[in-house]
This record gives sequence, C-alpha cells and structure tokens, in this order.
Amino acid sequence: MFWRVVIAEVRKNIKQFFFSTRTVFWTLMLPLGNGLYLYFLYLPFATRSVNLEMNGSWFNLDLVGFTLIGQLLYTFYTMMLLSGASFEREREQGTLEAVLLSPASRPAVILGGALASAFNYVWFLLGIMVSWVAFVGVKIVVTDFLALFASIALSYLSLVTVGMCFESLFVYSRRGGMYATMLQEPIMFFSGLVFPLQAMPVALLSISYLIPLTFGLMSLRLTLLGGASLLDVAVPLIALIGMAWLFLAVAILLINQAERKAKVNATLTQF
Amino acid sequence: MAAHCLRVVAATAKINLIMTWRFFSWSGFALRFWSPLMTLGAAWVLFNTVYGGATSSAFDAAAGTPSYLSFIVIGNAFYVFVFAAAFVVGRVMFWERAMGTIEATFMTPMSRFAYMTGVMTAAGINSSVDLIAVFLIGLLFGFQIASFNAPLFLAGLLLTAFALFGIGLIANAITLSFRDRTTTANTLMTVFLVFSGIVCPVELMPNWAQMISKALPLTYGIRVIRASLFGTRVQEVFYDLAILLVLGIVLVGVGVLTLRLIERNLKKKALFSVF
Repeated sequence: MFWRVVIAEVRKNIKQFFFSTRTVFWTLMLPLGNGLYLYFLYLPFATRSVNLEMNGSWFNLDLVGFTLIGQLLYTFYTMMLLSGASFEREREQGTLEAVLLSPASRPAVILGGALASAFNYVWFLLGIMVSWVAFVGVKIVVTDFLALFASIALSYLSLVTVGMCFESLFVYSRRGGMYATMLQEPIMFFSGLVFPLQAMPVALLSISYLIPLTFGLMSLRLTLLGGASLLDVAVPLIALIGMAWLFLAVAILLINQAERKAKVNATLTQF
Repeated sequence: MAAHCLRVVAATAKINLIMTWRFFSWSGFALRFWSPLMTLGAAWVLFNTVYGGATSSAFDAAAGTPSYLSFIVIGNAFYVFVFAAAFVVGRVMFWERAMGTIEATFMTPMSRFAYMTGVMTAAGINSSVDLIAVFLIGLLFGFQIASFNAPLFLAGLLLTAFALFGIGLIANAITLSFRDRTTTANTLMTVFLVFSGIVCPVELMPNWAQMISKALPLTYGIRVIRASLFGTRVQEVFYDLAILLVLGIVLVGVGVLTLRLIERNLKKKALFSVF
C-alpha cells in the first residue's frame, strides 16, 4: 500500500510538471544560465582553478567543473525546495481534503512528491554533465568510484528528505511558495556554491553546516574533480547520512501534527 | 490626439503606481534585493578572501577601473532596474487577463502604445527606487564613485528604459499568445543576467558569449552607466549610446507591430480572456 501511494504520487507530479514543452526548456535553461553566471563571476580574477581544503589536504579543482557541479546540485536542491510547496498546490486545486481523507500514508504522499521532483531533474543533470564534459572540456578526476557513488547517492537521499521536510513545514503556512523562493539565495550563499567554504567568514560557518547541500557539494566536487578517496570525504558523507535521518524524522513529525491540528480547527482548506 | 495620449499615459501610470504602493509589503520589497545582495556578498568574499583583493590585469583594462566591487555594485544596481522595469511591462497583459479586465481595456478607444507607455512610466519610477536602494546597499560593500556625469547617467538610463520598453512589448505579445508569464520573463532575465556584463566585462567572456552580448541593449546601457560613474569621457561611449538608441528604435518598432498583430489575431478568434 505504501509504495503504491508513492508511485501514484510520483506519476501524478511528473504529469503535472511536464504539462508543456516550455517547462522542459526552462528546466534546462536555469542550470545552464546560472552555471555560466557563476563561471563569469570568476573571470575578473587571474586563476582558472579553485583550491578546496578537506581534513588538512588541499585539492586543486578545475574552475568550470567547480561551478558546474555546484550549479547542478544547487538546481537539484532548488527543485526539492520548490517541491515543498506541493501541499499548497493541492490546497489551491481544492484536492487537499480529498488527499488527507484517503487512507493513504502521509509519509508516502510526501515521499512521492519529493521523488517526483528528484526524477524531474535527474535526467537533465546527467544530460548537462555529459554535454559539458564533451563540449566544454571539464576535467574529471575520479580515483575512487565507490566514494563518487556514495557522494551522489547520499546527496540525492539527503536532498530528497529535505524536500519532504519542507513539504511538511509549508502545510503550516499559506505562503509556502514565497518562503521557498526566499530561501534560495541565502542557501546559495551559505552552502559554498559560489566560493570555497574555507573563504566563508568564521562567524557564518555554523549556518553553512546546517545545510545538507554544503556537504553534498563538498563530497561531489572532491570525488568527481579532485580525485578524493572515501576516507577523504568520510566527514561530509557521515554528515549527509545524519541529516537524511534527521530531516526524515522531522518531516514525519510535522506532517502528522499539522494534519491533526488542521482537522481539529477545520482550517485545512482555508487560505 | 496628443493630449488624449498624454491623458492615457498619465492615467495608466497613476493606476499602476497606486496598485504598487497601496498594499506595500516590506517583505516583498526586501525580496527584490535578495539576489543582488547575495551576489554582492559572494563577490566581496571572492575578492577579499579568496583572491586577496587582486584582479587580473585584463579586468583592469577591460573594466576601465581597478575597483572590482564598484564594478559589481553598478552591474547589480542596473540589473535590479532592468528586472523591475522589464518584468512589469512584460507581464501587464497577462495580469489584465488574470484580473478579467483585458477585454474592457481593449474595447476602449485609447492608444495601446500610450497605455503601455503609462505602464512603463510607472515601472520606471518604481525601478528607480530599487536602483537607488542597491547603490546605497553597495556602499556597505565598498562602492566608490570616481566622478558623476549626471547627463550621461540619465541618458544611459532613459535609452535603456526605451529599449526595455520595446522588449516588454514583445514579451507581452508572446505572453498573450502562449498564455505563459513565467518562462518568457525568466528566460529573458537569465539571458540579461548572464550575457550583459553584470559580473564581468564582456571582453573577458568567450567569443560566442560576446556575440550574444552584442545583441542585448543592456550591454550598452550598463557600459554607459559605468562610464558616467568611472569618469570615462563621453566620446568613448558615444558608440554605445548610438547603438542603444538604434536598438531601442528597432525593438519598440517590432514590439508595436507584434502587439498589433497579436491583438488582431486574438480578437478574430475571440481568445482574449481564454486561458
């Protein structure tokens, strides 16, 4: 029953997302445009590489790859963030009550929404990666494929659970879409997307470490561009596992509480 | 006729200003500066912490100033101006349709051009507030003015607004045809943001990107505005002013024509208020 609900939600959300070819165009345009924007931000400076520090070791990364990986993962994160407004869409469509009246598992509904957002993006991510490697000449340096696989899988998992968490959190608000938009820029700044994290003012670093994207960027950049081993990226990978569990637990807690409260107060479909 | 057009411009500008400021929201106002604020913060960290306050010699030569942060602040302030102006004008017909007033608006005998000019006037006033706000924020990030050539600054701003007006007219036609407001505007803004030289001089971009830059009015507008604040002589940006004027005339011409064609087509097929 749980997985049937998940699959049904995934199918519904994918159909709603790809209702027109313009959506496909825009999903492709956004990471490409923003990736170029980040790359151009570096052009006034003399060097064409970025140094990243991890566990006392320094890794020299290709600038194009640094900005590309950053932008791809950030766009994926943005998609998950925006998926958080999916309950708000149900409310707008007048279907939220019907969804919550059904015996469907609530975590299955939000997992389906988050997985659909992830699916909508992943094939673009692969396409852009391949085209950038082929045409722009991104220097890929992989020495430990297990570390790379773990980085991709755990980044994906933790970002999906963040999407679930936002989805549950935004039920409490009638302005989920706006909050999702508001969060994009600060996360872009604090996650180390634009510049290496060691350049971040120390006072602000604690904020960076609350964001799973920070650790996803670290591990993926190092394993894909810097040839880092599993041991080199052990800390960010462990952080990603911990965050995935934490966000999943918070998501389930929040959605159950929100539903109970809304049913008691009869405010589920009120704007 | 001229008096009638002026009345339409004034009335439309007035109603748009009232609609903007009547329900003023601080969070909405602050959100408009989120993106430039983050770009300025990132540029500040890159310049001061990652690269130790040094830019390449190619940047100094191409930008006309060694002050990287001033270069970035001007770029971002100008982008906010463009964002505010182009977004409003490009979406005006969409909102008329959403509010259910588009049929009534097009049934009136007013000049469509005057109506759109009124919208642009209000958008220009609102976006000037944003422009000044970003310059003030920029002071915190080390923005410095070498000199201020007011006539050149105003000429750059007005000519860019004129070209943006043309782009807004075209965007409206696309929006009305495709029933889409997000994709068109977002695509346009991404192209402006990436290729207009907001974060780096166009001369430092790859050749293919420079070719796209040359087709955008914002590239020339931003160069004029920077020249007016960096003490560059007017003669050196005369070419940019001329290109900006020509692009503006072409874009407005195409915009008026496109809007007229779309209006005729929508009337014929009775699709004005169909979503």
